[in-house]
Amino acid sequence: MRLEIGNFHVHNVEFGKTSSYKDGTLTINKEEALAVVLEDEHITDADIVLTKPGDDVRIVPVKEAIEPRFRLNGGPAFPGVTGKIERVGSGKAVALKNCSVLAVGKHWGSFGDGLIDMSGEGAKYSIFSKLNNICLVADTDEEFERHQIQKKNHALRWAAHRLAEYLGSIVKDMTPDSSELFELEPITKRDEKVQGLPSVVFVMQPQSQIEESGFNDLVYGWDTNTMLPTYMHPNEVLDGAMIGGSYMCCSSKWSTYDFQNCPTIKSLYNEHGKTINFLGVIMSNLNVSLEQKERAAMFVQQIASNLGADAAIITEEGYGNSDADFIECIRLLEEAGIKTVGLTNECTGRDGLSQPLAALDISADAIVSCGNVSTLIELPPMGTVIGELESLMRDGLSGGWAGDEKLGPSVREDGSIIMENNSMFCGDSTLGQSPKMVIEF
Amino acid sequence: MVKEIEKAGITVVQMANLIPIARTVGSNRMVPTISIPYPLGDPKTSKEEQWKLRYHRVGVALDALSTDIEEQTVFEV
Amino acid sequence: MKKGILYLNQFFGQIGGEDKADYEPSIHDGQVGAGLLLNNLLEDAEITHTVICGDNFMGSNEEAAVDSILGFLEGKEFDIFFAGPAFQAGRYGNACGVICKAVKEKFGVPVVTSMHQENPGVDMFKKDIYILRGGPSAANMKKDMPKMAGLGNKLLKGEEIKGAEAEGYYPRGIRFEIFLEDETPASERAISMLLKKINNEPFVSELPIPELETVPIAPAIKLADAKIALITSGGIVPVDNPDKIQSASATRWGRYSIEGMKRLGNEADGAFKTIHAGYDPSAANADPNITLPLDALRAYEEEGKIGSIHDYYYATVGTGTAEGEAARMALEIIEYLKADNVDAVILTST
Repeated sequence: MRLEIGNFHVHNVEFGKTSSYKDGTLTINKEEALAVVLEDEHITDADIVLTKPGDDVRIVPVKEAIEPRFRLNGGPAFPGVTGKIERVGSGKAVALKNCSVLAVGKHWGSFGDGLIDMSGEGAKYSIFSKLNNICLVADTDEEFERHQIQKKNHALRWAAHRLAEYLGSIVKDMTPDSSELFELEPITKRDEKVQGLPSVVFVMQPQSQIEESGFNDLVYGWDTNTMLPTYMHPNEVLDGAMIGGSYMCCSSKWSTYDFQNCPTIKSLYNEHGKTINFLGVIMSNLNVSLEQKERAAMFVQQIASNLGADAAIITEEGYGNSDADFIECIRLLEEAGIKTVGLTNECTGRDGLSQPLAALDISADAIVSCGNVSTLIELPPMGTVIGELESLMRDGLSGGWAGDEKLGPSVREDGSIIMENNSMFCGDSTLGQSPKMVIEF
Repeated sequence: MVKEIEKAGITVVQMANLIPIARTVGSNRMVPTISIPYPLGDPKTSKEEQWKLRYHRVGVALDALSTDIEEQTVFEV
Repeated sequence: MKKGILYLNQFFGQIGGEDKADYEPSIHDGQVGAGLLLNNLLEDAEITHTVICGDNFMGSNEEAAVDSILGFLEGKEFDIFFAGPAFQAGRYGNACGVICKAVKEKFGVPVVTSMHQENPGVDMFKKDIYILRGGPSAANMKKDMPKMAGLGNKLLKGEEIKGAEAEGYYPRGIRFEIFLEDETPASERAISMLLKKINNEPFVSELPIPELETVPIAPAIKLADAKIALITSGGIVPVDNPDKIQSASATRWGRYSIEGMKRLGNEADGAFKTIHAGYDPSAANADPNITLPLDALRAYEEEGKIGSIHDYYYATVGTGTAEGEAARMALEIIEYLKADNVDAVILTST
């Protein structure tokens, strides 16, 4: 498959009469953009707010992030979400780089939502602090989940995807500033030199642990809870086949933006033909019961073995009981003689003394550790809040609390906050972006 | 938690679905349950079936408490 | 000028050799022996007192030795406490560990010592205090003392203490995240680790798998007259969650009466529900007995298979809960269990 992504490097975003792009400036006609958002009658109130790196701004509750994209060969940028099911990963697409659409609750947050600071100490905790963020701040009529800790956030997430595709369409007829080519031939059709290199698969375990539909990551619009591990082309992941979910503690989460820009896939592409033969992606999932975990790991082992993999990189979107899925997969891959490196984050507690993963096995001898979910973070007030700051302590966000004997509430009267890394928006980036590491003290 | 209880000399059996996790935290007597959200009764089955399953597995847990063991043991259900 | 106190054994405190190993603790103004070197190496602090104790005295009269040394320190102003370096001397290493730990606990000041990796004191005390990596013998004094002074200077200035490897102390079993200075993303670290693993070259995992810690197995009980208690980490609480137990990373637990109850009522009855955020709550809300099997246990009580059920059950939430917090909550719960002579526990986890 061959995918060419034409990149437009956005340095500035502003509102204007006509939606357009010129010399790094993206201009958005707000009314037109909001019309796309309001196509769903469940959106009761919506606004778009712009913010850039360095702004004295805090954004919370953030539910999803998407890179604006548009597919030039027809078909939706996010199959199963913004349109019907059509295969992606080949042909041409355009992307607005250096920016993202954020789905932000106007009032209400949920367990999996996160926080982004655009400057100061807090900015180092999320890669989204470095992007020009186009914040869709909205409320909905989804009364059934208004006061639930776990929310599907369906209307807002889908609206943000529509908005991202609309923004992508602005540049559909223009010449990109640069372009990236992702091409990987079918496994048996590669030349001898490539075939002779060590073969590597990338095993992804997206979050899929809620049995009720509507919370989990999606593959072509399909709930990953209902799938068995399958083989995918990495281009499909980069091109909108995978959609972020609305359940996991936020720092462990993979947003759609993270899938679209998956750094480990890009690194594997860079090595392909030089040091390795990149076979492709095994899209697995994370499960609830032991039997499901074992079955999925067995499938991963079987697919990897029969593709002829010599080595694997595996990553999980989660912690806690999903560590059992992660470790079981590593154990079975190693058992099949496949040398495996795992990417994960840890939960060592605020005192750093807890067992780092819920399940451990000596076969997991090569782990890249991307962060500690329980890091306690204290941050000063920011001048402007996009969304509603109270949500951090009021709505059950995984890293916030209403009260604590020693620490007080997460949100203080002066607007300063104390929280766990758990709610830093996609902060541990176990898809490979994380500049963090957990070390011994 | 289970380790502290056992350290205090109180015999304890852990009923858990994720046996690998129970084993990793150092549980000595373990009885598997059927899932995380519904450890002892699948809501898709009848009330009577749920009761039978629960009664049976709690019985296994009680038997585990009255069994001497030499090492970490998962009791078959 | 900050103040430090140094602990030395009889040899380095210039009392004498092995024949003076039973020397009882004493305290001296200013610096003695190796203390002069340390004093010169401290930047904005001086060693105001030196404590000297024989290694055998500490070894065989630990409690008395510690009591008397803590007594010497009572009322003295000091900002840091040093001991050693102890090199590979086992008894001296033990003494440095014992006294550093005691001083840290009693006075809350930072404590620093140094030992060779084969000194048994390392494994005994590395989780409690900073023990710097030192050489095997006193020939390393000029290398090891500057390291102690270096860490001491940082602690006194309130500077950030970096990781074990960077600072040269033995890992204390504490894991925290850091931001890599060169910002190498995880993807690149993973590829580089993978290539090394493929090529059978040495590589270093960022998460070494710790050894499994087990506890002695408690004896089997006689069911017929046993009192059994139910505990759950599945977050089953009265519907109003009276103890405000958190839905994740819990630090609180609850104790709720089940006296005379045949089974747990559900959320719709206004009785019990789950507040655990780590799983789909609908099944447990509809029937909490599937997570906390009171109904089944009652049946066994009625049949006479067990003696009785403890009148309360205990609940917390097990998702993202720190091990230290879980252990503390367990200890608090155990007090109630012991007070009511509970013989055994069924712990259900989700």
